[in-house]
Amino acid sequence: MSTPALKGPAWVTVRQYRRTLWLALAVVVLAFAVIGGLRIWDAQYPDVRTEDGFWQLDPYNSGHHWLEGAMHSFSDCALAIPFAAALFVAGPMVAREFESGTYQLSFTQSVSPTTWLRTKLAVATATALGAVLLLSGAYALGWVRVRDSYSLLRDDVGPYLVLGTVLAAYTLLAVAVGALAGLLIRRTLVAMAATGLFTGVALVVMDAFRWDFLAPVTITGKAVEGASTLMVPEDGRMVDQGLIMADGRREPGWFCYDEGASGACRPEEPVAAQYLDYHPASHILPTQLIETGILLALAALAAFAAFRVLRARHP
Amino acid sequence: MSTPIALGAELLGKKYGGRRGGWALRECGFALPAGRICALVGPNGAGKSTLLALAAGLLRPTEGTLTAPAREDLAHVAQAKPLHPRLTVADTLRMGRELNPGRWDDAAALRVVEGGGFSSDTLVHHLSGGQRTRVALALALGKRAGLLLLDEPMADLDPLARHQLMGLLMADAAERGTTVVMSSHILTELEGACDHLMLLAGGRVRLDGAVDDLLAAHTLLRGPVADLAPHTVVDTRTTGRQLTALVRREGPVEGPWETSEPSLEELLLAHLRNPEGAAA
Repeated sequence: MSTPALKGPAWVTVRQYRRTLWLALAVVVLAFAVIGGLRIWDAQYPDVRTEDGFWQLDPYNSGHHWLEGAMHSFSDCALAIPFAAALFVAGPMVAREFESGTYQLSFTQSVSPTTWLRTKLAVATATALGAVLLLSGAYALGWVRVRDSYSLLRDDVGPYLVLGTVLAAYTLLAVAVGALAGLLIRRTLVAMAATGLFTGVALVVMDAFRWDFLAPVTITGKAVEGASTLMVPEDGRMVDQGLIMADGRREPGWFCYDEGASGACRPEEPVAAQYLDYHPASHILPTQLIETGILLALAALAAFAAFRVLRARHP
Repeated sequence: MSTPIALGAELLGKKYGGRRGGWALRECGFALPAGRICALVGPNGAGKSTLLALAAGLLRPTEGTLTAPAREDLAHVAQAKPLHPRLTVADTLRMGRELNPGRWDDAAALRVVEGGGFSSDTLVHHLSGGQRTRVALALALGKRAGLLLLDEPMADLDPLARHQLMGLLMADAAERGTTVVMSSHILTELEGACDHLMLLAGGRVRLDGAVDDLLAAHTLLRGPVADLAPHTVVDTRTTGRQLTALVRREGPVEGPWETSEPSLEELLLAHLRNPEGAAA
């Protein structure tokens, strides 16, 4: 990477990892090329209007089909960004300096170990955030065309992570935890494994709990013969659905299945009403912000600990 | 009246972590005057690298105090000659300039790299052990530090390169009044180059002083077996009725012996053979 403007430790760090920086740039270019190309292909076949006034895909538009497929893959690959940042910072950037002994070279120049770590974190953060921002742009470019597709809805995990602040927050956490693990473990592969594991656990735990951050909105309806099942309002995310019994007890799940032709609910159960818990679309942004806040707090903690570990070991 | 101290220690100790960790250095005390070329010798595991790493500020002492120049004013070449493998030689020297703003001397660094038989766009990864040593030394000399800490600097070099680089290093140090501390196993490489000697054994300083003073304080005796008191015996060997002994003199040597001043090598070997012997 040509680095005319950089000076001092930043020049050294960029020079040292220039191949990885080029790789990150190549990934961004590839994402734009693929998504942009598919958008152009898709645009060759404008949607057609049906007689009842709906818009429908041109049956010959296989570009749209490919775009959907690419966006599904993109959603999965986006999860790889925090992992890539975690593994790279933990292993090659920090632990390897200790494993190979080059820290002895770095720490005996005229810059302090603190500056050394700060520079590494700054370069990693700037690169990772830049990549996330650009990749989110490429993602958004594709997503606006397939936003109603299965598993690409606004609250589905792909769009939820990429179109907002959450992916960037995971990436920052990954950088900070990678630095801490690299400093503590000082073995390239072990530090990479530990950081990868942590990032995976963080993603899984957050995925399990993020829709519990805000209390869902509940709607109720009558549960009498002939009453229709409650439906999730448009753009809402279903949390739970079921019946409320006469004693106020909630029975999740739908008890009223067809028994013969009558379609009646079980007469022996004293059903009072039916309920549905859901998150309206307005919950997505606050949920993202809460998740981002938790992740950034953890990242700050990890970065603070990393500097403490460094200072404790190296004068 | 006295020359300033370039590197000093009082009751310096370093214990490595872990349950089985032991003391690498213990109760070390010395004061190295500025401008000296100091040979740091001792058997494997004596604590030479630990002492140099402590002096370079790479490690925190477990106990005691160490007086050393600030990071900016010292240069350290570790035993393994660590360098970033994916940088070229030119980039490595540029790194020296970028990380030592205001003091980097390109010409001094290039003098060391020249004659190494590699071009400046070679990746460090592709250099031989001796060539890496050249680049590492170039970084150290280019920094223009007042104190050079070199851990086994010549170990990977062929005799010709060793001679050339040693000459360069000595000329540079003499010209600028640099203090050099250089650890080595090769005694002959130190003789003639060093004017100060520090012998470490078992994590302790066994001998420390100007080479001339140390040599003058010791005497090599040959003659019949007899009581050597009041002199402190460093090393003795008896062949039949013939005694060879290296002693630290307490007053003039009087007796039936043939006396001579030991060579530096004889002095070192005597002390290395008797690590628990007379400490200076």
